Amino acid sequence: MSPKDDEIQEEIAAHLRLAIADRMARGESREAAERAARAEFGNVTHVAEVTRAVRRGLWLERLGQDLRYGWRALRRTPSFTAVAVATLALAIGANSAVFTVVNGVLLRPLPFRDPGALYAVSYLPTNLPFELPPGLDDRLYLEYRRHDLRFERVTGYQRQELTLSGVGDATRLPGARASASFFDVLGVQPALGRGFTPDEDVAGNDRVVVLSDRLWRARFNADRSVLGRTIMLDGIPRTVVGIMPRGFAFPASAQLWTPLALRVDAGNSFIFPVVGRLRVGATPEQARSELDAIARAARPDPSVDRAGMVAQIIPLKDTVTGKVRTSLLVLGGAVLFVLLIACANVANLLLIRAATRRHEMAVRVALGASRARIARQLLTESVLIALIGGALGILVAFVGVRALLAMAPLGRIPRIDEVHLNGWVLAFTLAGSLITGMLFGLVPAQSGARREPQEALGQGTRLVGGAHQRLRAAFVTGEIALALILLTGAGLMIKSFLLMRSVDTGYDASGVVTMAVDLPPVAYPDPARVQAFHTALLERLARIPGIGAVGAVSFRPMSDVGIMGDFEVEGATPLPHGYTVDKPTVSPGYFGALGIRLLAGRDFTAADRAGAPGVVVLSETVARRLWPNEPAVGKRISMQQHPGPNDWLTVIGVVNDVVQDAQLSRHSTVYLPYLQTTAPFFINHMTFAVRPEPGAGNIAAAMRAALRDVDPAVPAQALQTMDQSMMDTIAEPVFQMRLLATFALLALLLAALGTYGVLAYDVAERTREIGLRMALGATPGNVLRLVLGRTAALALAGTAIGVAGSLALTSVLTKSLFDVKPTDPATLAAVTALLLVAALVAGYLPAQRATRIHALTALLHD
Amino acid sequence: MNEPRGLSRIELLQGTLDLIILQTLRWGPRHGYGIAQMIRASSQDVLQVDTGSLYPALHRLERQGWIAADWSTSENKQRVRVYTLTAKGRKQLEHERSQWEQLSRAIGAILAPPAESEP
Repeated sequence: MSPKDDEIQEEIAAHLRLAIADRMARGESREAAERAARAEFGNVTHVAEVTRAVRRGLWLERLGQDLRYGWRALRRTPSFTAVAVATLALAIGANSAVFTVVNGVLLRPLPFRDPGALYAVSYLPTNLPFELPPGLDDRLYLEYRRHDLRFERVTGYQRQELTLSGVGDATRLPGARASASFFDVLGVQPALGRGFTPDEDVAGNDRVVVLSDRLWRARFNADRSVLGRTIMLDGIPRTVVGIMPRGFAFPASAQLWTPLALRVDAGNSFIFPVVGRLRVGATPEQARSELDAIARAARPDPSVDRAGMVAQIIPLKDTVTGKVRTSLLVLGGAVLFVLLIACANVANLLLIRAATRRHEMAVRVALGASRARIARQLLTESVLIALIGGALGILVAFVGVRALLAMAPLGRIPRIDEVHLNGWVLAFTLAGSLITGMLFGLVPAQSGARREPQEALGQGTRLVGGAHQRLRAAFVTGEIALALILLTGAGLMIKSFLLMRSVDTGYDASGVVTMAVDLPPVAYPDPARVQAFHTALLERLARIPGIGAVGAVSFRPMSDVGIMGDFEVEGATPLPHGYTVDKPTVSPGYFGALGIRLLAGRDFTAADRAGAPGVVVLSETVARRLWPNEPAVGKRISMQQHPGPNDWLTVIGVVNDVVQDAQLSRHSTVYLPYLQTTAPFFINHMTFAVRPEPGAGNIAAAMRAALRDVDPAVPAQALQTMDQSMMDTIAEPVFQMRLLATFALLALLLAALGTYGVLAYDVAERTREIGLRMALGATPGNVLRLVLGRTAALALAGTAIGVAGSLALTSVLTKSLFDVKPTDPATLAAVTALLLVAALVAGYLPAQRATRIHALTALLHD
Repeated sequence: MNEPRGLSRIELLQGTLDLIILQTLRWGPRHGYGIAQMIRASSQDVLQVDTGSLYPALHRLERQGWIAADWSTSENKQRVRVYTLTAKGRKQLEHERSQWEQLSRAIGAILAPPAESEP
């Protein structure tokens, strides 16, 4: 009782005493006065109750009663409460953890002013063998900007990496080139200093830079005087003009911004992302048709192949979250399934518990509690369980989010910095718990309240509830079906992963360590100097003790860059239109370092240098494709479109194909020697690979030291083993696989527990029947079969529904699967078998117990 | 839980009890029993307020801020809960009072129509 309750009692008591005193003053006897005052007052309890109801509101009053009663009831059955709460804590916690990530990555608005009005503008071909990120080419961008658009303003930008030197160790930083209007369009201004002026957005006048808050704090100690100072980026001095506010890192995780300073090149076009802020009242569709019209008018030249060009206006957020969206939604669905299974389990526990509480409920009905009140009481109990589960679930989510972030592939999930447990997550958990509590509580509450009091009071507690039994069976069937769908998803991902791991990559990654370098054009302005650097570093690396082989390649397998193109073949052999090959530039010894086998001819040597006859090495499929019936070695090809007499390159060797990217298919490749490659674009970025002999020490540190010896201003990048590179390449599906497998295991465990619980209760409920059967001559084997038969019936029904559900749902995984169809029969068969076995194991324990039932004890039972 | 009400009792119109309580407290602070007595006396024993309506009404008016309550000791050393009209309650009383006057004029007009309006 609260103090308020006491006050009301006291107030009523005072009223009565005053009334009695008045009556006695008028000459009535004490007894008569008391009797009359009470009669006049009416029902004291009733008055107290209605007054209390006013104080708290009737609803709250009853809720308080229900909660107190529910809490007492839960404490009377601690093991039931513990199992139910733990099940829900796990399931709700897992959901909150996934929601935390979904909220941070997908739901929260981008941290810009009115981000809903920002759209990416794109006019690109969509019929290419690979997917281009949305963007415009430079000429169209300049033309487009001249028009009065549905956009208030558009701005172009381009991701870039820059080497910051002269401030601590040289380091490679992600950044962007951005138009002068970039910060205006996004609606985020520098916290200190300024953005770029239009004058600075011109090539030659663009030696300015804006820093991120993070970089400013990490490298410049948050010193304001850095404004106006000059820093070295890729060997070019740039003046710091602004510092962005904390948290601004767009695009991707950009740390610094330099002007876009477009310079249109006659021979090439340059494609970059463009973002615009839509005018108030304009629709994306209007902007799209406007872009389409401008683009068509801008390129009247019919010789330009415009087939497949598509104008698109895409919400900026979609371009940021694009790829992870599907996999996060799949995970969200998976974790929701786990919650549903947990709900089914707890609902079954409640049904079983309700059976043991029939007497209690009957007494309450007999004492005048209405059905609705009892149903509400039961529902309050289940919501109470869910809320306690949800509260513990927050702890689970706290741990879960940390685990998720630790598992997440580095740099593959956008906005990962924005993932935090926050008010939204707490609200989600609270709402989720309430809904969960109602979900699993509703059916037991309804059926619990429906019972006739005479029935329960008169017949004790041995009543077999046929309806209850059917409900429990339905719940178990449902959870087995859901678990099967999750297991299928996980099984498919695991099979896909194993296939990926067993792909013959064409190279031998064991022990190989790679290190990438970028040579800034300022310090390395001509090919001779770039080549000299490469030669020096190769020599220096080869001197590291314990090194077996050393080589360099312009883009290694499993990197996210590549150069593709076509070429000419000497003689009449016509190449099919659109036949393209990878064109990496390599050093002598590269094939040996990566374990790529030479199938014919010879490797490059130091003699294949400028001035010597031009040479190339082909990969197997290129050689076979061009010269199916004769040796390729000795034939000639050219990388020029209209080759002159000196442009022909002789094929000196053939090597096996290697896989290059996440698609894990073998690429057709033409290798060029770095000493004969003159375009800086082909050799500025180089990856050095070393193969240590077994037992070599810390190779990575030695490689870093070697690089410092050759040029301390060049930072080492992506220093890792080839195995790590492979794992990075398939990091996303692996992440998805791990999570799906975790959820599927949880689902399997819950489903097995649920099956066990229901069968154990069945056996207990049928003790008398089983005892009777045994008294009549049934063997333990008969009894075992009886119980296991029921288990099998439940499990078969569940798996049948689950297989149908899997066939309908697993297609969402198509994009994440490698070489496995979402309807893979082997996987379906395997997970079905796994679930059946799990169910039979769960049913075996109760079945065993049933065989030990003693006929006599059973008949005396109850 | 609702107990049947006696047919002989006059059901007060919704809101009328509030008006009566506020009006009663105009003459000074009073405890629950005192308010009941006062209402009965000033209505010449016609209105007898049901305690099951009075106390909930008092606590509701208190929650609405129209009256304030405090414990004090009565003449005969009883600890009693005494209610006082607040400034807000005074305003509310004026408002309800004018409404009531309008209503009673209107009802009076209906019950005793002026002869002139007859054709």
